[in-house]
Amino acid sequence: MEAIELLEMMRKAVLEGEEEEAVKMAHEGLEKGMSPQEIMDKGFLPGIREAGELYQQEEYFLPDLVCAADAMKAALEVINPVLKKEGKTGDTGKTVMLATVQGDVHDIGKTIVGAMMTANGWNLVDLGQDVKNEEVIRAVEEKSPHVLGLSALLTSTMEEQREVIRLLVEKGLRSQVKVLVGGAPVNQDWADRIGADGYAESAVAAVTLAQELLR
Amino acid sequence: MNMFGTVLNVEEMDAIHMQSLSILEDIGVRVPSEKVLGTLEDVGATIDWQEQIAKIPRELVTKSLSLCPKTFTLGARVEAKSLALPGKISSINLDGTGTRMRDFHTGKRRDALLDDVAKAARVFDAMDVGTVLWPPVVARDVPTRAAGFLGAATAFMNSGKHIQDEIKKEKEVYYVEQLLTAILGSREAVVEKKIYSATYCTVAPLSHDKEMLEGTLALTRLKAPVLMYPMPASGSTGPASLYANLALANAEILSCIVIFQATTPGTPLIYGAALGAVDLRSGAYLEGGVETALQLTAMTQMGKHYGFPTIVAGCLTDAHEMGFQTALEKTLTCLPLVLAGCDVVQGAGFLESSMTLCLEQILLDGEILELCNRMAKGVDTRSEKALMEEISRVGPGGHFLKEKSTRQLFRSEEYYMPTLSVREPYESWCSLGSPDMICRAREQVERILREEPAQPLSESVGKAIQEIMEEARENL
Repeated sequence: MEAIELLEMMRKAVLEGEEEEAVKMAHEGLEKGMSPQEIMDKGFLPGIREAGELYQQEEYFLPDLVCAADAMKAALEVINPVLKKEGKTGDTGKTVMLATVQGDVHDIGKTIVGAMMTANGWNLVDLGQDVKNEEVIRAVEEKSPHVLGLSALLTSTMEEQREVIRLLVEKGLRSQVKVLVGGAPVNQDWADRIGADGYAESAVAAVTLAQELLR
Repeated sequence: MNMFGTVLNVEEMDAIHMQSLSILEDIGVRVPSEKVLGTLEDVGATIDWQEQIAKIPRELVTKSLSLCPKTFTLGARVEAKSLALPGKISSINLDGTGTRMRDFHTGKRRDALLDDVAKAARVFDAMDVGTVLWPPVVARDVPTRAAGFLGAATAFMNSGKHIQDEIKKEKEVYYVEQLLTAILGSREAVVEKKIYSATYCTVAPLSHDKEMLEGTLALTRLKAPVLMYPMPASGSTGPASLYANLALANAEILSCIVIFQATTPGTPLIYGAALGAVDLRSGAYLEGGVETALQLTAMTQMGKHYGFPTIVAGCLTDAHEMGFQTALEKTLTCLPLVLAGCDVVQGAGFLESSMTLCLEQILLDGEILELCNRMAKGVDTRSEKALMEEISRVGPGGHFLKEKSTRQLFRSEEYYMPTLSVREPYESWCSLGSPDMICRAREQVERILREEPAQPLSESVGKAIQEIMEEARENL
């Protein structure tokens, strides 16, 4: 297969959210001696960018975007180790860390935000659901994300967003990370009251806000 | 299963039918046309020539019913826009004969103009769910006697869909034939394609209009389909109980069936209805009431009971402006008809008891019909929709966003995606300027009118139509 054809198939695998195909194409590219940078820049990244654009144009629905993001993530898992060996990183320089707060097991909103961030070129660290506050703090210390997104669906768990921010201040970490909050009971007033950097009401808004905050 | 709506059971429909037969046999209908009375006498009706009343025996009704084709296609200038009847789902039509326009720019009432017919036809043409187009208003800027025909010609020039109109007098048929031949190229094509049909209104109670009857009968020589459209209003031109009003309206329809099949056997007929009620205080004709909805649903059922395609008035309001009452009444007079399986709901775009046309409302009503159609499709419980594998794969605590079936079903008829309803989160909506459905409909109307028509007539046909219109303007 010609390199150009392979790159096109990489783009298509991500665009169409075909995770296994993306992994297969990543391996094939490397075996053919293509540089990991070329594979990313000319194969997978155009695919994820196009998926994001199609979503904005209302051609793609959320499930399409989530699948594209996961295909991208799977391809990155193949490419990143090679890049690291070469002393490079596959990331785009922006990392978002997401967590559904302690005591809250509702993570679909966070998953959607994660997909949307990935589709917009962010590196995603998803801590999962019901993440203990201390765990969030430890992860921020270790991975130094640019943005921390805290999701809460319940009025009883939204208090944990305030608590995480308080702990970040206490540990002297608050200034190094922008904190976004989201979830059904949350709004801008709440974000202001607890000292968050912003509130986003949807996954699209979360991406825009994160980008603005880093500008 | 699909969602069904009924207001009459089979026994009740049979009872209405029997009462209608008694009305025709014992009381009869007024037919102010000697020509038609003669035909009716020939086929077995008893005629009171003095009173111009035809009493129709039930056997004649039964025989006439058997002569009617029950499936046919309402053709369209753009063939892909044809409507095979009975339809698989409900679609929508405008109403006709409105006189006022809610001006798109000022929002004020004014007399309707021929250009309003053109604009409405273009908006309607762009709406997938619209199939049959009745030129909605009678233009006041052209001679009254020619306004109907000029409206139909204007509709053809601005839409590729099936055009339905009234023939108000026999003289119009000549121009209609000229018009259709100019579009389709030959009389044979006119007969075959059926891109034009007539609405034929009876005059309640139990009467026919001489000129409209003779005109519509003349049109049937082109084998054009006819929509039979009784309009008794319970309490004024019809008896006050809904049941009796239904029997009366149905009797009027049965009399149409006898007349059309006696004159031109095999004429494709559509069962229609625009029954109303009367405001108990002012005497005003009411379209948006729930009693209207009940009657129109019952009439839809009667039409289907006989096996006819149905085009029934619906999506109606008595409100003067777009807004809550309009949405409420239009939904209540649309959903039950759709659930009863009505082929075409007739009434989109109108306010004020179908007197005032509003371009935005055409699109708003399209969305109401689409939502009703989705309701009617109900819950699909075929085994392929059980998705047991997916449920098992995701298990407790996961999500279904990545399942292939999710992606497929989001793009299928499982979900209807409205185009005008507000679904954005609050702040996104605010950032867009807080548009409501009406704002969105306005934007779409502006866009449609800005764009070139999708399938315009060729220049030569357009020119030929203009010439026919000029002649009709002078001579009708």
